[in-house]
Amino acid sequence: MVGRSGKQAIRRWLAEDRLMGYAFIAPTLVVLAVFHGWPILQTFGMSFFNWDLLTQERRFTGLENYRLLAGSGEFWLALRNTVYYVLGVVPAQTAAALLLALAANQAIRGRAFFRAAFFFPSISSSIVVALLFTWIFQGGGLADWLLTLLGLSPPRPAWLSNPSGIFELIAAPLGLRLPEWAVGPSVALMAIMALNVWTTTGTMMVIFLAGLQDVPRELYEAASVDGASARQAFRRITLPLLKPVSLFVVIIGMIGAFQVFDQIWIMTRGQSQTTTLAWLVYAESFGGGFRAGYAAAVAMVLFAIIFAITMLQRRLFGQRAW
Amino acid sequence: MLSHGRIALGVLVLLTAACAPAAEPAPTPPPKPTEAAAKPAEAKPTLPPPGQAEAPKPAATVPAKSAPVTASLRLMGWASSPEEDRLLNEVLADFSRQYPSIQVKFEPVPEYATKLQTDLAAGSAADVFYVDSLLAPDLMKRGLLMELDSYVQRDKVDTSDFYPGLLKAFQWKGKTYGLPKDWSSLAMIWNAELAREAGLDRPPATWDEVKAAAQKLTKGKQVFGAVTPPELPRLGAFVYQAGGQLVSQDGTKMAINSAEGLQALDFYYGLYKDSYATTPADTGTQWPGDTLAKGKAAMVFEGNWIFPFLKKDAPNLSFGIAELPSGPKGKGTFAFTVSYSINARTQNGEAAWLLVNYLTGLEGMQRWTSLGLAMPSRKSLEAGWIAQFKEREPFLRAGAYAQPWQLGPGGQEINDKVATPALQAVFSGRMSPQEALAEIERKGNEVLARPSP
Repeated sequence: MVGRSGKQAIRRWLAEDRLMGYAFIAPTLVVLAVFHGWPILQTFGMSFFNWDLLTQERRFTGLENYRLLAGSGEFWLALRNTVYYVLGVVPAQTAAALLLALAANQAIRGRAFFRAAFFFPSISSSIVVALLFTWIFQGGGLADWLLTLLGLSPPRPAWLSNPSGIFELIAAPLGLRLPEWAVGPSVALMAIMALNVWTTTGTMMVIFLAGLQDVPRELYEAASVDGASARQAFRRITLPLLKPVSLFVVIIGMIGAFQVFDQIWIMTRGQSQTTTLAWLVYAESFGGGFRAGYAAAVAMVLFAIIFAITMLQRRLFGQRAW
Repeated sequence: MLSHGRIALGVLVLLTAACAPAAEPAPTPPPKPTEAAAKPAEAKPTLPPPGQAEAPKPAATVPAKSAPVTASLRLMGWASSPEEDRLLNEVLADFSRQYPSIQVKFEPVPEYATKLQTDLAAGSAADVFYVDSLLAPDLMKRGLLMELDSYVQRDKVDTSDFYPGLLKAFQWKGKTYGLPKDWSSLAMIWNAELAREAGLDRPPATWDEVKAAAQKLTKGKQVFGAVTPPELPRLGAFVYQAGGQLVSQDGTKMAINSAEGLQALDFYYGLYKDSYATTPADTGTQWPGDTLAKGKAAMVFEGNWIFPFLKKDAPNLSFGIAELPSGPKGKGTFAFTVSYSINARTQNGEAAWLLVNYLTGLEGMQRWTSLGLAMPSRKSLEAGWIAQFKEREPFLRAGAYAQPWQLGPGGQEINDKVATPALQAVFSGRMSPQEALAEIERKGNEVLARPSP
């Protein structure tokens, strides 16, 4: 029996929509907990074991996997490659997406066509696109043809099988031999980065486009009444109001770049110095090492990096941004 | 529009995408399969008459057929072609006629290596499965395969009939863990028309002749004399020709960083450096067979799997075949072989052995190799096979000296993560051949010395 005041309390509670709120998020919450939260905890646990993938034999070794990782040249290569990848892909795709969004936001002829065309790579299968880029960057392919047209000689070995770092290639004619950590992303990794920029720019463009259309027209009218130039309006109105959208684009862009796996699977299988952290997780467990615990440790490092960067961005740009 | 949830979801999606398949992080180890495998005689096969269940002991001489074994077996492997798939099912039907109480279900799977690894991890692997020579040491070392010696002795299987290089691939510390179902070797295949144009009247038989021939066959950047991909499963054959080894006799150390190894790499890479050879990547082709089929190279060092490919992709190509050239220390090539091995955890050990023994026996193997693609791993079938497939003779002749494609436990990792990157570094001029071999030795030894849990 619920008393009068109790009924009122429930009614008040319902009125605040709390119960309904929880009811609505419950399915997602359960799915997240079972299929994401639980595996994350298990992975975290696994990372403290010497865990054989084939026999499932395991021995608690504490922080040994993390110590091994810190001493592994391949881990640092993967970390460097991941950082190059993020630094190469995210600014390029964000800038390109903003430019395309601005263009697609103008009242130009064939606007719908351009919007669809720019968005198209994003909805194509990543495997198909990766195969397409494999052809572009194969020996005697489109990339080679373009270089020849510009009077440059194509790389030998061809793009995707070329492990030379770009800084290394620049320094070589000067007679310099760079230390391994300074050679920069390999030619093959650059090709994969180009692919990633091409495929994700469309998605980012659509998000920017939505952001642009949220900017109130009155602001531009007021600015033009005040005598502001188009450039001033862009800098003082468009860019600041796009800040939350830009932040979102940068964050999902970074998460996507940290995750890169399928393109590498298709294009290089981790060869030609294109190992990244996500690839290393796969290679260490299924690629013949059978070290499930060690792979889990790599996964946890990747998790920690992304988590830290996301939190940092949140702090830098403030809660309001997103 | 933007919410914490979206970002959190992104992070979570990423993490799980990166996660290895999770299992209970319980500190107590599961029962070690090694213990069971070490004493297969005690891992009792389910034989109906209990008196004969003790059969798998060296001394026992109970003929297999006198014990009606009832079992339903799973056989897992891959299917390279519909023809092979059909043929294997026919061979299995023959087996079932001889052993009516044993049912066999063949399960061909794509992405075989990954599937086998996860099945073994989950404890749900088939009773009998294919094991590739490169992976075999990992499974033998972990005790995941049933030791066959007691069965081999009981049923008086003449293992000396197998080419020694093939049987060796499935032996670990003196015990046998699989019988070779068939094999492939590397030989030299060349475009006969281009060879005629270049005035070559016979295949090059030595390294010097190969180099001279490659030079003659090269036409600027249109056609290259040879194909030399930066990969150990090709370079290694030349190391053997130079008298070197990839791994030490006891299997504990890399042995490629030697004068012989360097001689081989200098020769092999030299062809590429001098632009008499190319790689599939440089010519926009999938693999050396494709480079040959597309007319971008005149000579390749490939396996007998090239036949169905050439038939389909270059039906008009006239080509010649010879054994790989002799190096400073004679002949050398790889044997790429696959075994029928028995799951150490199977409940049907006896029936599984009967199946393996039939498939690798004279009758089963003759049937299986009758299409000409797979080569028999038994010497006694050599003459008959060669009579039937005369032009493929050089591949089978290599049985006398072929070495298994094998690097020890962690072989896949040594190849993918140590050897290939080092050889790529040589081909792109990042490393000298000396530096690369030293790196393969150093990192390869690290993998070989890695302790198991």
